[in-house]
Amino acid sequence: MDLHTWALILFTLLGQMAVGAFLVLGVVHTVALRHHESALVDRLTDRSLLAIGPVLVLAFIASLFHLGSPTIAFRAVTNVETSWLAREIVTGVAFLVLGGAFALLQWRKIGSFAARRTLAVVAAIVGVAFVLSMAAIYMLPTQPAWNTAATPIAFLATALLLGTLAVGVAFIASYAYLRRHDDERVEALTGLLQRSLRWLGVGAVALVAVQLVTVPLHVAALSAAGGAAADSAAQMLQGGGLVLGLRLVLAVAGAAIVGALVLRSFREPLPVRTMSAVVPAAFGVVLISELLGRYLFYAANVPIVI
Amino acid sequence: MAQEQLAFFIDLDTCVGCKACQIACKDKNDLDLDQLYKRVVEYVGGDWKKDGDAWVSNVYAYHVPVQCMHCEDAPCVDACPTGASTKRDEDGVVVIDQDACIGCRYCEWACPYGARAYDADEGKMGKCDFCEDYLANGEDPACVAACPLRAIDYGPLEELEAAHGDLKAVAPLPDADISHPSVVFKPHPDARRAADDPGAIANLEEL
Repeated sequence: MDLHTWALILFTLLGQMAVGAFLVLGVVHTVALRHHESALVDRLTDRSLLAIGPVLVLAFIASLFHLGSPTIAFRAVTNVETSWLAREIVTGVAFLVLGGAFALLQWRKIGSFAARRTLAVVAAIVGVAFVLSMAAIYMLPTQPAWNTAATPIAFLATALLLGTLAVGVAFIASYAYLRRHDDERVEALTGLLQRSLRWLGVGAVALVAVQLVTVPLHVAALSAAGGAAADSAAQMLQGGGLVLGLRLVLAVAGAAIVGALVLRSFREPLPVRTMSAVVPAAFGVVLISELLGRYLFYAANVPIVI
Repeated sequence: MAQEQLAFFIDLDTCVGCKACQIACKDKNDLDLDQLYKRVVEYVGGDWKKDGDAWVSNVYAYHVPVQCMHCEDAPCVDACPTGASTKRDEDGVVVIDQDACIGCRYCEWACPYGARAYDADEGKMGKCDFCEDYLANGEDPACVAACPLRAIDYGPLEELEAAHGDLKAVAPLPDADISHPSVVFKPHPDARRAADDPGAIANLEEL
């Protein structure tokens, strides 16, 4: 697989992670506000919010390496009328601008809470449109492996799974930063962190379960369809299914260590050291799993074309 | 739809697969080694079958020259994010504005005929433009002029359909409903057998 395809792998994964993290952070923030005052919640979430923008910018930089003529990449927004690729770039840039504007206002606490919340909801909707546009790009009649509901399902699952774990890692990093700086609210923050990670963990396990069902079903359906679809399935099962197997095993491993953490959280308060080890480890393992999964997605590019 | 859609007529019953069209096209467009705007597909099927005590051969083979079909519903034009790929109003020929092409290769995924050939050195997409410069000078496209058997012709789609029927897909080409290609084929007699006894492309490594 060449540089141009690796550029797409990074672009789609990082772009989806950014959208997923934004959505998950929004949900965590909303739920946490029911139990805690906003000054405390913002302490944990605001720094995490600021991390999303650079990830998205990195995604767009990676996408340039996909192009034969990157110096005129800006032209990709021209044909929004019919091209899903143009729509992808337009919604992606709009998500970057809206999400960035929200992050700035939230960080500086400019404007009313309701105004900021409205902006965040609009950004989230545009972000979902970004991920769905990405999926629509691949749903071409010429590409049987991609032209199924499995594509949007896989992209959304990846967005939410990587987003969930990335938010977990960002929370741990924020917490460590605040503790180093002797934040006076560190005790209350510990409780918030423990509860947040518990429910992020539940989400991650559920999302891996979705993948465990949908990924094998997709491969089986392609195999059964014959023709180019079956050739795609053979590509996805390359190396005797080793890559696909490793991808699923790593996802399960990530879910298992997070799941163990969740179970423990119901028995006793989670030690900070344990959380700080387990969540980044799970993120790393799942990230490798997702890299392999996306690699197989592009390897399955077997068109009906001669 | 274009005012008068220009189309190819390809007589598969006459084509012997000499690939003169492919070479003339490659020469005219000065293409790199790994680039082809016109490709001649060899389609081979059948086997030795037992008939009573005898083994009888029903092996068949025919050739299908394939280039951009200048489709009426061109998926490449819809896919192109920059609008570099357009369908000309006057003759429906699909052309690529090289200055606008960003080399994203999305059109290549969308094309049902694999008719697009990427130029990695320039970072731009290329394909058959119906030899628009030749047409402007009143000359025939390179592939048409080169065919020693006169198996390739071109003209307004309606005229070609009136003269030769409206067959737009033969094995191994995809369903014509995907993009409504501007092409008319006269089938090879063995194309009929491909439906009951599917063959395979014999020269994949050349394509």
